[in-house]
Amino acid sequence: MAQNRSSQSVLDTMGEEIVRILAPVSLCMVLVVILVSILNDSSATSSISSIATMAYSETGTDSSWDKFVGAVLNSLAFVVAITVVTFVLVLLFYFRFTRFLKLYMGFSSFLVLGFLGSEIAMFLIEHFSVPIDCITFSLVAFNFAVVGVLAVFMSKMAIVITQGYLVLIGVLVAYWFTMLPEWTTWVLLAALALYDLAAVLLPIGPLKLLVELAISRDEEIPALVYEARPVNCDNLDPRAGVTQRRVWRDRRIENSNNQIDSNLSVGSNSTLNANALLNSNLDGSNPDVTHNATNLVMENAVSNPSFNSNTSDGICSDRNLVRAEEGQVQETDSELSAPLIDHGTNVQLNRAEAVSNANSMLEGIGLASSGGIKLGLGDFIFYSVLVGRAAMYDFMTVYACYLAIVAGLGITLMLLALYQKALPALPVSITLGMLFYFLTRLLLEVFVVQCSLNLLMF
Amino acid sequence: MTLAAGIGYALLALGPSLSLFVSVISKKPFLILTVLSSTLVWLISMIVLSGVWRGFLPLKTTTWWPFGILILTSVAFQEGLRVLFWKVYKRLEDILDAFADRVSKPHLSLTDKMQIALAGGLGHGVAHAVFFCLSLLTPAFGPATYFSDRCSQMPFFFVAAIIALAFVTIHTFSMVIAFNGYAEGNKLDQYSVPIVHLVAGMVTLVNLAPGGCTVGIPLLYCIAMLTLFHCGRMVWRRLTENQSR
Repeated sequence: MAQNRSSQSVLDTMGEEIVRILAPVSLCMVLVVILVSILNDSSATSSISSIATMAYSETGTDSSWDKFVGAVLNSLAFVVAITVVTFVLVLLFYFRFTRFLKLYMGFSSFLVLGFLGSEIAMFLIEHFSVPIDCITFSLVAFNFAVVGVLAVFMSKMAIVITQGYLVLIGVLVAYWFTMLPEWTTWVLLAALALYDLAAVLLPIGPLKLLVELAISRDEEIPALVYEARPVNCDNLDPRAGVTQRRVWRDRRIENSNNQIDSNLSVGSNSTLNANALLNSNLDGSNPDVTHNATNLVMENAVSNPSFNSNTSDGICSDRNLVRAEEGQVQETDSELSAPLIDHGTNVQLNRAEAVSNANSMLEGIGLASSGGIKLGLGDFIFYSVLVGRAAMYDFMTVYACYLAIVAGLGITLMLLALYQKALPALPVSITLGMLFYFLTRLLLEVFVVQCSLNLLMF
Repeated sequence: MTLAAGIGYALLALGPSLSLFVSVISKKPFLILTVLSSTLVWLISMIVLSGVWRGFLPLKTTTWWPFGILILTSVAFQEGLRVLFWKVYKRLEDILDAFADRVSKPHLSLTDKMQIALAGGLGHGVAHAVFFCLSLLTPAFGPATYFSDRCSQMPFFFVAAIIALAFVTIHTFSMVIAFNGYAEGNKLDQYSVPIVHLVAGMVTLVNLAPGGCTVGIPLLYCIAMLTLFHCGRMVWRRLTENQSR
């Protein structure tokens, strides 16, 4: 009995949502670092020409001031280009050209996966001298790109494939950005962090307009967004993912529906045909006790291990079915999946309902209506650009920047729980990342190398 | 000396931590977050220390006492930070218990608390290994190797890796001892942790002497074994006490 009670501690479920968004971000960063370290010491630094370098192309012989001014001009041009494009996007969304937007996004994903992916694959082939002919290569690249576009935009696939392709798109674009000249990269990152702050928080910001339009129309923005798997009952993802419609939901609707849902769930659970044991435990109990009842069933059914998965499956499926009929997907005991930030918002909210507090707040943090955290792919890309650039200097800066970015992401998630509205994910992480990069490069490296070369450690 | 050697050195320093991570920490997301935050805290401590000492570097290696002062101040700062870490952890424990009450789950058990302490210690150990050893291993992936003057029997990377392993052990388990000492009010445990850290740091001063690493490294491993043994004995005692209650 003591063994089972201790396995139900709070520690088991807390923070799972954060880890589910941290894992792909870390994977993206690791892949970019590996790509950079493989490909960058072999070939000479070839600078690319793109929008980001149209104002000034850095050469090795310019003075620092020239480089700096050139970098600022480059970033300004890039940010202006992005602003214009985002406003065009808002306009198109406003006039309901959603289909056109989706097709355009699909087309650009195809370009990224097909052409950028092929280019980077060719660098790798060149580096490792892989014997492959161009017909096979083009066939494979084409198929790869088409499957990617389908996975990301057009149809519902296994969520692992969708997530994998999103991470891959992030890796490809981030690697491409690391090929920019150094000063331009750093100033560009700073400029983008400021732009993100302005675009999401200012009332005239294009991203804020976009989000508000999407909420008011109850539509999904057609964009490349990574969505972490929701925490509870994730073995039922294909069935439970009814509609990922809204970004933020009105809390009042949440509260009233929750009361109905809790009653319905208890009622529907009694019709489970898999577990007679469960019925006797659940009749007349409230949802809070349901979870403990599940545990009791698991204890009783210790001799029958297959029973356990049926139990949780049964409860979860019925809960989800009920809510699917109600038009929303929300679990009453989803409070367990609320990450560390739970206590923060409960101080903020004035309402007294304990259950609905956590649920509405979870609905707020979990940007998708199924409760998973959403992070735009642009954030993936620019975090990885920062870490990739750090990798071009040394691995110590990579570790420091990685920790800084993760810390920034954690802080952003906490702010998200506190303020309950769409927040820019770039500024905090990029600021911390750049700060740690320069501190490590200037201070820590000398210190550590001095100590370690003399085999002095503490 | 090629990719295999580089990976070998990295695993030498971080292998036990990796297995600890995979077997214990990765099961509970909260512990993963604890490891990451702990690593961040110790990284910040090292940056602060390097900021303070930047003006005095590079130190001449002919005299040993500037290095002694360096190690003394660094260890003192880190131990002070450990006390702060404990205070933050106490507050976090209260918050977690309040949350557990709200979702009608039991409070943090003894094993939970010790796991959080272990995760914190692992963060400290990983921060040490990553910055003192792993970040220097980049040349080891290339075709050659490097021998230090004062420790010419083994490649420099190898020596750095085994010293890092010893320190990872010391840091990981010292945190468990320290947290238990603070929780129980056991003065012996509370003071032994900073002293062990300081002694370990000072022992590495022996490496400054030519051929000193043949003495320094075994001493360091004795200290690591001592820490491991003491921690094991203390954990055993607490678990049996808890069960008999």
